[in-house]
Amino acid sequence: MKRFPLHLLTVLAMTSGLVSVHPVRAQAATPGVQEFDPRAFPGQVVDDVVVPVPSEVFSVLDKLGEPNWQQEIRNVELPKTVDRTKLALQFGMIVAEGFVAVQAEDKESVKEIGKDVIDLATALGLIKSVRPHAQAILDAADKKDWSSIRREFDLTQKTVRDTMEQMKDADLSQCVSMGGWLRGTSSVTSVVVKNFSADSAELLNQPMLVEHFINSIDKMGTRVREHAMVSDIARGLKDIMAEMEGAVDGFTKDSVRDIGKVCDTLLKGIQAAK
Amino acid sequence: MRLFSSLRPVIYALIALLAMPAFATVDDAHSFAMEGAMPFVEQGFIVREEYWNGEVASGQGLMIKHQMFKGNEYAFWLGTANEGVAFDLKVYDEKGKEITIAAKSDKMFASARVNPPRTATYTIVFSLTSKKEKGLYWALAYGYR
Repeated sequence: MKRFPLHLLTVLAMTSGLVSVHPVRAQAATPGVQEFDPRAFPGQVVDDVVVPVPSEVFSVLDKLGEPNWQQEIRNVELPKTVDRTKLALQFGMIVAEGFVAVQAEDKESVKEIGKDVIDLATALGLIKSVRPHAQAILDAADKKDWSSIRREFDLTQKTVRDTMEQMKDADLSQCVSMGGWLRGTSSVTSVVVKNFSADSAELLNQPMLVEHFINSIDKMGTRVREHAMVSDIARGLKDIMAEMEGAVDGFTKDSVRDIGKVCDTLLKGIQAAK
Repeated sequence: MRLFSSLRPVIYALIALLAMPAFATVDDAHSFAMEGAMPFVEQGFIVREEYWNGEVASGQGLMIKHQMFKGNEYAFWLGTANEGVAFDLKVYDEKGKEITIAAKSDKMFASARVNPPRTATYTIVFSLTSKKEKGLYWALAYGYR
């Protein structure tokens, strides 16, 4: 999430009333009228996208059935690398793995993932801001305080993304989001395929998020955009988008499986040594 | 000119002092949004740590697209750092139909509840209006259960 970009002089001018802010333009909202046309919206569009955490989808799957989350936990081996793009993707992926472990209420897996978070944050040079959250995850795991762990994983990701953006590494911040989304979506497809229903499959209807990631990659600097893994992700996201756009009458089991395969292939690449 | 030079450190210090509270206000807006979230947390809502924020001219509408999942209940909390603000906060589905089921306003925050009828992209539309301030700091957070 981008922080509010206030410039000192702008703040000064506004606080002292020297200049006015943007011209006031009232929203064309009439009480009682419920129809809304975004294309005719006269106000300002906020482009920032808050990507849902995997737990948001997992909580619906829990309401629809009794997924075996333990089966969904993956033993992640992270090779040593100095490739920051890959490290950022891995960071997002491992945090999403943490949400799976929380859903499974697996204390030992949460602790292992907490340690991976520390290792990745160290490799990214962000350990100072991440350590308090990682420690809170390890402490809460001992107490099996699942809601606190869920909150800390969310906070960890936010802290890393904020810090990257402050360091002018917005592209890497997007990589964190993408890694997390791919891992979360992979879990969702796996659970949905095991106990298929139209309601659970509908959870994959996320074209706005996929479009957001595709656009984010398009806007990235050459170094990150042309990274082999990011190029693979761009292609994979387009395949996923095609599946979503093709699901006009709802997702079939095969289309869910196909989305899962794309995610899993990309996740293997993210975890690969090269 | 010489007088300005000798006063320059004092002027800069004054500038910094004036600016400090302004820097704090976006965080204040989020704090008030979180105050609005408190009763919802007691009802089992999980608050997301990421949120939207910024500054807007009084009365100007803002629009945000957001993914929601059928089966979850969502709550949105809009906070401001400015006093005497009137809020308008609504959520619409893809066809432009309002789906807000409970909207409430307090002095420094407003809330809206939503039960998304399907898993899709929704549009959150809001504005803050003040008779005193031209520019208003805002933060919009959400939670689910």
